[in-house]
Amino acid sequence: MSSESRVPDLKAYILGELSPQEQQDVERRLASDPALRDEFERLRLTQTALLSLREEEMPRRIAFVSDKVFTPAWYQRLLDWPRVALASSAMLAASILIHGFLPGKAPVPVAQAPVAQPAAVDVKAVVDAAVGKALAESEVRHRRQAASLLAASESRAEAREQENRLAINRSFEILDRTVKNLRKEVSFASADLGGSR
Amino acid sequence: MIFREVEDRDLVGKARRGDVDAYNLLVSRWEKRVFNYVLRLVRDREDSFDVTQDVFLKAYQNLAKLDDPGRFGPWLFRIAHNESFSLLRRPRPDREELREPPVAPPSGLRLLPVETSVAVTAALERLSPEQREAVVLKVYQGFKFEEMADILDCPVSTIKSRLYTALDLLKEVLAPVSIRGES
Repeated sequence: MSSESRVPDLKAYILGELSPQEQQDVERRLASDPALRDEFERLRLTQTALLSLREEEMPRRIAFVSDKVFTPAWYQRLLDWPRVALASSAMLAASILIHGFLPGKAPVPVAQAPVAQPAAVDVKAVVDAAVGKALAESEVRHRRQAASLLAASESRAEAREQENRLAINRSFEILDRTVKNLRKEVSFASADLGGSR
Repeated sequence: MIFREVEDRDLVGKARRGDVDAYNLLVSRWEKRVFNYVLRLVRDREDSFDVTQDVFLKAYQNLAKLDDPGRFGPWLFRIAHNESFSLLRRPRPDREELREPPVAPPSGLRLLPVETSVAVTAALERLSPEQREAVVLKVYQGFKFEEMADILDCPVSTIKSRLYTALDLLKEVLAPVSIRGES
């Protein structure tokens, strides 16, 4: 069967799976075959419609918090020879350099005077004294505060009591005046009644 | 091949040596593609997100087993394929009842772009999961037949058969619709 008589693979063509030679063959056939062109057009429209579907956005990003499962074990890190060798040679070079710059004096032995260490008992006594002093100061402060609060509260209560007394006296005065007026009105009314009779 | 400043191969190498940032960069490169692939199969956003997360976790845990670091993408999609079909195989009657299939717009009318996308979604729904997956991998993700064969672990001939049948079915629904939509 020759390539001319075989139906070309239009789907592979439209999906980009043909070699350049095969693509040319298909294009030549398309140019000369209207039925093939119709079929190709339908496939192209199908592909265009499919590609019109938008890619969806993710609801949220992937939260990737990982354990370091690929971190080398401690013995693997120890066996990391190039790094160890580099560090060792750097340290060796540094020590040689420092040794070279140091003055060539023999170390003189120095007698060390015994340093008096404060006894544990002393420390405890100091701490106890400081704590006691702080407590006493705090207590005095609290007492002073409580006394001033009490005094302020008492004076407020006295003022309130005085106000109440004045108010009660005013009420009695008003009541007294009202009773007197009523009595007057009653006597006038009874006098009127006696005259009319 | 798309040029990237740092290739996936290098990032996989770094991630294997314990560089979590390198793996996070791989995640940010591939997460949207994997999510959309899973979404077209699973058809539920939340499920798809969960599956996508599982895919990246499994990929990280099994990174040492990846033979060719240059083929990180197809390998990742292989995991995504397994995870998606594992979810699809689980019986979920409640979800099947709740989901309403998209209704294709009536024929003979001029279609708006949104109607075209509804028609495409409806047409894809009519395919079997295997056919739909073949379309998604080829048309939306741009994989080659050989890569698809790797991802789906089946011969190229099977891939072509699924894809060509799917295209014929889609063409019956979409080609006339698209012609009317364009007129």
